[in-house]
Formats: sequence, C-alpha cells, structure tokens
Amino acid sequence: MSILTYNGSAIMAMKGKDCVAIAADRRLGIQQSLTVNTDFQKVFVMGPSLFIGLPGLATDVQTVSQRLKFRLNLYELRENRRIKPKTFMSMVSNLLYERRFGPYFVEPVIAGLDPITYEPFIASMDLIGCPMVSNDFVVSGTCSEQMYGMCESLWEPNLEPEDLFETISQALLNAVDRDALSGWGAVVYIVEKDKVTKRTLKARMD
Amino acid sequence: MAASLVTEVPQSGFVFENCHRNAKLAKQGVKLPKPFKTGTTIAGIIFKDGVVLGADTRATDDTVVADKNCAKIHYIADNIYCCGAGTAADTEMITQMIASQLELHKLNTGRVPRVITGNCLLKQMLFKYHGMINAALVLGGVDPTGSHLYSIWPHGSTDKLPYVTMGSGSLAAMAVFEDRYKQDMSRDEAMSLVRDAIEAGIFNDLGSGSNVDLCVITKDKVDYIRPFKECNKKGKREGSYKYTRGTTAVLTSEIVKIPFTVIREDVTEESMDTS
Amino acid sequence: MNKEVSTGTTIAAVEFKDGVVIGADSRTTTGPYIANRVSNKLTKVTDYIYCCRSGSAADTEAVSDIVHYHLSFYRMELGEEPRVRVAAHIFKDLCYNYRDSITAGIIVAGWDKHRGGQVFSIPIGGMITRMPFAIGGSGSTYLYGFVDANYKSGMSKEECLKFTANALALAMSRDGSSGGIINLAAITKHGVEKIILTGDEIPKFNEEF
Repeated sequence: MSILTYNGSAIMAMKGKDCVAIAADRRLGIQQSLTVNTDFQKVFVMGPSLFIGLPGLATDVQTVSQRLKFRLNLYELRENRRIKPKTFMSMVSNLLYERRFGPYFVEPVIAGLDPITYEPFIASMDLIGCPMVSNDFVVSGTCSEQMYGMCESLWEPNLEPEDLFETISQALLNAVDRDALSGWGAVVYIVEKDKVTKRTLKARMD
Repeated sequence: MAASLVTEVPQSGFVFENCHRNAKLAKQGVKLPKPFKTGTTIAGIIFKDGVVLGADTRATDDTVVADKNCAKIHYIADNIYCCGAGTAADTEMITQMIASQLELHKLNTGRVPRVITGNCLLKQMLFKYHGMINAALVLGGVDPTGSHLYSIWPHGSTDKLPYVTMGSGSLAAMAVFEDRYKQDMSRDEAMSLVRDAIEAGIFNDLGSGSNVDLCVITKDKVDYIRPFKECNKKGKREGSYKYTRGTTAVLTSEIVKIPFTVIREDVTEESMDTS
Repeated sequence: MNKEVSTGTTIAAVEFKDGVVIGADSRTTTGPYIANRVSNKLTKVTDYIYCCRSGSAADTEAVSDIVHYHLSFYRMELGEEPRVRVAAHIFKDLCYNYRDSITAGIIVAGWDKHRGGQVFSIPIGGMITRMPFAIGGSGSTYLYGFVDANYKSGMSKEECLKFTANALALAMSRDGSSGGIINLAAITKHGVEKIILTGDEIPKFNEEF
C-alpha cells in the first residue's frame, strides 16, 4: 500500500460561473484499522479567496501547509499585495520540486479567485510538483478514481454558486462512500467575489 | 534544520531532508508513490523553412489519465521550443530552468540564442544527474545558423537528426516518419505529417491520447497551435445530472465576507473657489 | 525508454605509414529499439585527432566534449596541434578516474607531426595501450579472428580502408546491436578525409543463408 493512503483523504475542486469550490473529507485514520480524528483539517486558507487542499500523509500535510504559509507571508510582505493563484501554484510547485529526490507525500489541490480580476482558478499537482491547471475540476486523494468518475458525469460548465455546491458535495460524498479510507464528514468551501461560504456536510460515519 | 525560532529562508537547489525518512519508510515495505508520467508521443521534423514540433496531450498517473489536455511543448526561447516526455514534473522544471538560463545568456550577449546552446545546457544538466531526472526531450528551433532538431535522452546523450520521435508512442510515430518523410517539405506537408505521426501515437499507444498540439517555428514567426486537432471530443451530454438545490444535508454553514481591495483611487481635480 | 542509450557498437582503427584509418557502424540502441540508425560515432576532438565511441552514449559524449574542451585550450597555449598521445591520456584520465560511474570504451586515433598516425585503445576501466590496430564495441567479439588473420603490417591507406570496411561489415551482419551505414575516415597530415558507405557500398560476404 502506498504511503499516500496511510491516513486516507479525498479532496476535489471545481470551477463554476465566477466562483470556485473546494471540498474535502475530514477523516484522519491509521490505515484501515483506526479512525483517530473526524475533524482533521486538510483544506488550508491561504488568503481571502485562495485555498489549498493537501491530501496525503498527515505529517506532511501539516508541514507543507506551514511551510507554504511561511513562504506566502514572506511573498506578500515583500510585494505588498495579494498573491495570484497562479503564482501561488508556482510557489507550491517549487517547494515540492526542491524535494524531487525526497518528496513530501502530498498531492495538492489549489482553488481560488484572482485578487484583481476575480478569474476562477483551479489546479492540482503530483507529489513532486508538476502543475496541472484545469478548466473544469481537479481531484486528489485515496479515492481519486471514484472522484474522477463522479466529476466526469456531474460537472457541467457555468454552474451558479448554489448549484456548484450541490454538485461538488454530491460528487465528493458519493465518491468517499466507496472508499474505506476517506469520508467521516466533509467540508466544502464556495468561493465567490464577495464572500466565502464554508459548509460542513452530513455524511456516513462508517 | 535551523533552530525552531530562527526563520528559514528558502535556498536554491534541491533539498534532501526527507530522503532519510523516505528511505526508512521504503525499507519498512511501504510502497513509495509514483509521480505523474507524460506517457507521451512527441515528435519533430525539419522542413524547408523551419521546424515543426508536435505532441499529444495526455498525462497519466499509473493507469489513470491525470490530465486530458496538458501542454507538452515547452518554451525555451522566442525561437526555440522543446517537447518533453517522461516524468511530467521533470520535463516541466528542466525546460523552465534552461529557458531562464538561456534568457540570461541572451541578455548578456545581446544575440539570438542558438539551438545548439540549448542542447548543450540540457544535455549537461541531465548528464550531471545521471538519468535521475527522467526527461526525454525533442528540442527544435531556428537560429541564425539555420533550422535544428535534437533529441535528448534522460542520461544526457543527444542526436541531431532531420526527424525524431520520443516517448512511449515514439515507435508508432517513427513508423509514420520512416514511411513518409521527405527532404525540404512545405509547411503544410510538414504539419500534416507531424499530425499523422502524433495521431499514430494517440491511437496506438495507451500512454498517449487526447489532442494534437503543434508548434511551427520559422525564421521570423512561431505558431504555437494548441489544440491543432481535437482527435477525441467528449460527446455532448443530452440530459442533465444537476442536483436540485437543497439535496445535500448541511450540518453547519458559515459565511465570511471578503473585504474589497482597493485597486485604484481616482481623485478628480476641482477648481478652487475664489469668490 | 528509460534504459540508458548505448552505442552497442562496432568500432575500429588502423595505423598506416602516413596516418590512421578509423571506422564505425551507425547504430544507437535503447534496449531493442534503434534510437538512431545514422549516428556518427567518429567524434572530432581536434582537427587531426578523432575518437571512436562505444558504451553509454551519454558518457562517451560527455567525455569527448570535455576532452575537446581541454585540447582546444591546450592547443591555444601550445601554439601547435596537440599530440595524439596527449589526447589519449586525457581520455584515459577521465575514463580511469570515473571508472566506477561511467561505461565508455574509446579508441583514440589521429596524426601528429612527431609520431605520425597512432591508435590508442582505452577499454572500459581506463586502461590505455597503443596498438597498430584496434577494434572495440559489442561487435568486436566477432572480429578478433578476422583481424588477426587479415591484418598485415605496412598496409597502404587504401588497403587499410578496405580492411576496416570489411571488418565492420562482417561485425554488422552478425551483431544485433551494430548496423546501419559505415562511417570511415582517414587522418593524415593533410587533414581528414571522410567516407560514408551506404546500402550496396557495404562489402558483402557469404549471404547464402
């Protein structure tokens, strides 16, 4: 079994009409034998309208999120402006590729709106930081096959924020139902121009 | 690692701090995850006025298609482009690094960068890493000395040829080239030959798929056509799977307003009241 | 695809009175796939000194690039053409010092005004030895009998070219990782004369089976 599946996780992000959504499960487990925590943070706020989801080995999830926040703060202090999602993606990519020969076991998902143009942006990455910008949806985690299947059939272009919420929630919930390692609750962020809506979902707890 | 209260400013170069831990995990029998591969069919030919580069657009994560439309033709300089096959992150990063080195070289010398310079930088970088950086490249471009095309292997060996292919679909693409390549083809002939070679890879190699991207480099113009041909369009969906609003059971909901950032402040001039 | 590219090769070099003749096949392979069917394994290091490369393509290219760099510098400082012996010893130094990490079997051949045509063989491991003629690469195993039977000292340039072409053709027909065309070159005080044999020009032997 790959080390990426040690703690279990499922994260996805979707583009909508002038909005993006990022959703994650909440389980922290030790392989299949034990669920340690059902409110484990996997989506991290990197700005008012910038989020990163880090599925993978929990210790690396926390290390990477802290290192990124540090680099991000340094950037925003130096530049005195908010980072663009695409620039942030390069930052994540560089952090991971520096460890090309000894990687962190995380496969990040990035979602956000451009701070100036409000252009929606989503991207994902492999564990050594190969950036992959997408126009529809990105998924990452232990049940990526299931999530790909759900997203390929449910996602459609120009979803309004409320419809995007239903789409991403159902895609995630139904995908994790077929994965023993992820699930146990879910959290969804819908990012719009003027507000971010964070919702926790009722899910199967088995 | 520095002391916990001393901030650690990012340094350039590779970091090996996780290697020990990862090797230990591997020793315990944990399978280490694999990075994305590009699978890939990439190809290039020299024609009468320049170079045509072509690539498919599939990236794979083991057997899963990770990206259906990724760009495998990378920018090196205004007159040089490079197709990449192998580990996706490696091809992406190595081309970025060499592009930046060539840009500095261009600014230092004030000359148009030569393809052979790009080839030299790439092969020396790859050789230095003993094939650990898994990038198989097709480098092509036009410079004051003419049109040039190189294939570069992960260990750092290079070949200079009039037509080259790389990646898992290279055999299919090479079959097309060996059959139909002629010297001094016209632009349109060259473009359709490269398209057919990439399509041979897309349809006969499982690691390659989706669309054909082309990049045509001539003396004073570069046409990066993406996609050149969409070979595999997703069918139009007749019904809608849209869930009605309120389907999902919500436990908690919290709204955070985003404060507007001031982008511009206009001050209009007003005449002073002197009455 | 991830295997190392190697010049699974046949290379040969012969000294004659006024110079040397060198030759190579043109096949470069990665496993069972021919990565390049018209490669040039005769690599220039100075105007009068060439090397024939066998082993890992990346390693031999890197080594000959480095030797080319050293000799270009050396030539400028010296103000005359470097000796073949010097070139061969730079190759040897690199091949010996990095013997654990590189796979390179190189034949250095050329002409200098002091000792005329010379052939040095540097097999994998970094040994160096001067020989009246040398063969190398995977195809050379098929050739030892032939060259021992057919080499005569004091051959003319034409005889040397014929001898080299015959040897290469025989090896190419028996060795799976050698093939393609034959690259030949004769190096004398007048410089380098290159000859390429393709298709029908490649010598034929018994082809009944």
